[in-house]
Amino acid sequence: MDKNLFLNAGNPPLQHFEPSMPTWQSLSSAVELNCSSDQSSDCFLNPPYWDKSSDQYTHFESALSSMVTSPAVSNSAMSNESFVIRELIGKLGTICNSREISPPLMAATTTGTPYIGGGNNSTNTSCYSTPVNSPPKLRMAIMDQLVKENLPNLRNSMPLNPALPVVSADPGFAERAAKFSCFGSRSFNGPKSQFGLNNTELQYKSSAPSLGSGMLPRVFSSPSLKAAESPMENKHSAQTQMGMRSDNGFGSVSDKKLSKLSGSAANSNEESSVSEQIPSGETGSKTPNEMNSRKRKAVSRGKSKEDVPIQSATKIAEADDDTNAKRPKPTEENGNEFGGVKTEEETKGSTNDEGNESQKLAKANTKPPEPLKDYIHVRARRGQATDSHSLAERVRREKISERMKLLQDLVPGCNKVTGKALMLDEIINYVQSLQRQVEFLSMKLSTVNPSLEFNMDGLLSKEIFQPNGSLPHPVHPLDPSAPAFYGHQPQQSPQQKNISAGPASQCSADKLDATFCRNFGMQLPPVEGFSEGVSQFPTFCEDDLQSIVQMGLGQSPNQATEFRLQSFPVQNQTSCMKIEL
Amino acid sequence: MTLHQHLPSNPRSIKTRFAIRFLQTLKRLNKNRPISSSLREIHGRYRIVKLAADASMASVVGSRRVWSRALLWKIRNRALRCNSMKRKRIHALRVRRRGGGGHPTRESGFGQANDLRKLVPGGEVMDICSLLDETADYIKCLTTQVQVMRNIADLYTS
Repeated sequence: MDKNLFLNAGNPPLQHFEPSMPTWQSLSSAVELNCSSDQSSDCFLNPPYWDKSSDQYTHFESALSSMVTSPAVSNSAMSNESFVIRELIGKLGTICNSREISPPLMAATTTGTPYIGGGNNSTNTSCYSTPVNSPPKLRMAIMDQLVKENLPNLRNSMPLNPALPVVSADPGFAERAAKFSCFGSRSFNGPKSQFGLNNTELQYKSSAPSLGSGMLPRVFSSPSLKAAESPMENKHSAQTQMGMRSDNGFGSVSDKKLSKLSGSAANSNEESSVSEQIPSGETGSKTPNEMNSRKRKAVSRGKSKEDVPIQSATKIAEADDDTNAKRPKPTEENGNEFGGVKTEEETKGSTNDEGNESQKLAKANTKPPEPLKDYIHVRARRGQATDSHSLAERVRREKISERMKLLQDLVPGCNKVTGKALMLDEIINYVQSLQRQVEFLSMKLSTVNPSLEFNMDGLLSKEIFQPNGSLPHPVHPLDPSAPAFYGHQPQQSPQQKNISAGPASQCSADKLDATFCRNFGMQLPPVEGFSEGVSQFPTFCEDDLQSIVQMGLGQSPNQATEFRLQSFPVQNQTSCMKIEL
Repeated sequence: MTLHQHLPSNPRSIKTRFAIRFLQTLKRLNKNRPISSSLREIHGRYRIVKLAADASMASVVGSRRVWSRALLWKIRNRALRCNSMKRKRIHALRVRRRGGGGHPTRESGFGQANDLRKLVPGGEVMDICSLLDETADYIKCLTTQVQVMRNIADLYTS
């Protein structure tokens, strides 16, 4: 079936042979003979699609396909893949004088694996196992169609691939080859880890289109998502079929993609960089179009890179989603900023000096982080240094400043504080005070009379009723041991508590008085013990607490303290307690 | 009866879960507690209550956060090598150290981060970025803890 697809692939371009390639021209007749075979409607190389492609290399591609088809026709069985491969390689070997291409080709064939520099570790890469140049050229036409809207800059910025001198006699063709090779290389870097170093070396040694050959199926899967919006269903289905043929894993993904174009399909396929990229991107609330276009533009367009990577990857440390991270952005993967630096330099031409970007500037150019990707793309702003180290530094600084802002919101009273040092001081003070409050409250709770029932329901309801615990209800009977020790106000909201405590103390003073008198005898021992205990912890009663207590005492000096002084001969209490009611 | 009327808007919120857990712990603690007023007992009880509060807070947060994991680990280790003498010694040391921690030895840049590391459990091994992250979460949980504990304390002391 792979063969059939490939045959179909080769069929349409038969009309557009380039006369400058005599070798291929000789096969054109063969192509015409074979063109009618195995034509299916879902062939992605539909004539209208091919008509748009340039004439120059479609001829070439059709010739290549003819080479494939001719042995295919003779051998109906699919098992002749290796034979076909060898044939094609042999033929291409004569054409492609590039030494870079042949070794990987030979290596691939000798190993018998259908994989040739395509990055496909699946076994069903028969159609891609054809000579290095042929599949890329085939797909180049397709890719041209697919990405011509999306990669306007790619052909301009990417250097021509020197590995294709022979086949690209036409400069336009070379340009497109370079474009697709770069595209392929770009998409290839992602799954590098999966396919092992061998593949990568092969990839990089061989011509760039060879990279594209392996990558194109994945790229195809991405347009398959776009197919939801685009009317070119046939093409995409065929493309995804190609993808399927080439790689089982890809095929499953592309199948799913076709079925669920909403992008939830790439769950199973680790290899499909683009496919996984897209669902994650979609689930990350990006439209497929956006994701596709961003991916395609990512290499050369600084702006698009700014969009996608910065949005997605701001936390290098947090590799939350490993699968999404690297594939669609291969060139930037190396050292996070190196690729970014290169492309940025290409597009932006940033200057030399050591820019001190202000944090405000950083906000202007960087997007909110998305924790999905695990690496960061940073765009060097104008006037900023593009050194990788400074970029990394800047990313780190931005992260830190972001977190400091969050902390500023959490810590009350930090709005006016500027600067990291002061902020940190405030934060440290706040954390310390919170911890001390916990200790005090636990001390308070530890002295609660155990005879009181911890009625869960009642407690919860009451607690919920008073979410902040700012004012205790005076209806509750006074706890015998409680009056000796009331809640300490937090340092941050002394005003609030004081205000509430003031009037409350006055209104409930009588109640306090009554209960005090009633329970005096019983209360004294525990309270005494507690007060002694309290006085034992001067370290906890630190300066802020003392001040609060004195404030509280100053506020309600009349009834409560008088009671205290009368009821409890222990003097230490008063310094550490205040009436809250 | 009144519970249904006053159900929390988010029964799964950290605050509610912490409150429930802490109250359960307190209940359990107070069941076995002898009614004694000696200083030592009170002090011991205070430590237990504080531990209970921290442990219930950390367990509610779970292992999502570094600080909660570190806190739970510390508590469990302490329980494992539980020895009353050791505990008191450790506590005394800690008290003394904390007493001296208020000194402003502020350094520029992130020198204060060292102080922050001591405060946040598990902060010694984190880099600045994640330290700040953990601090934010820790502050949030501490405030809920303080709120809940204050509510409970007010309920029982009013």
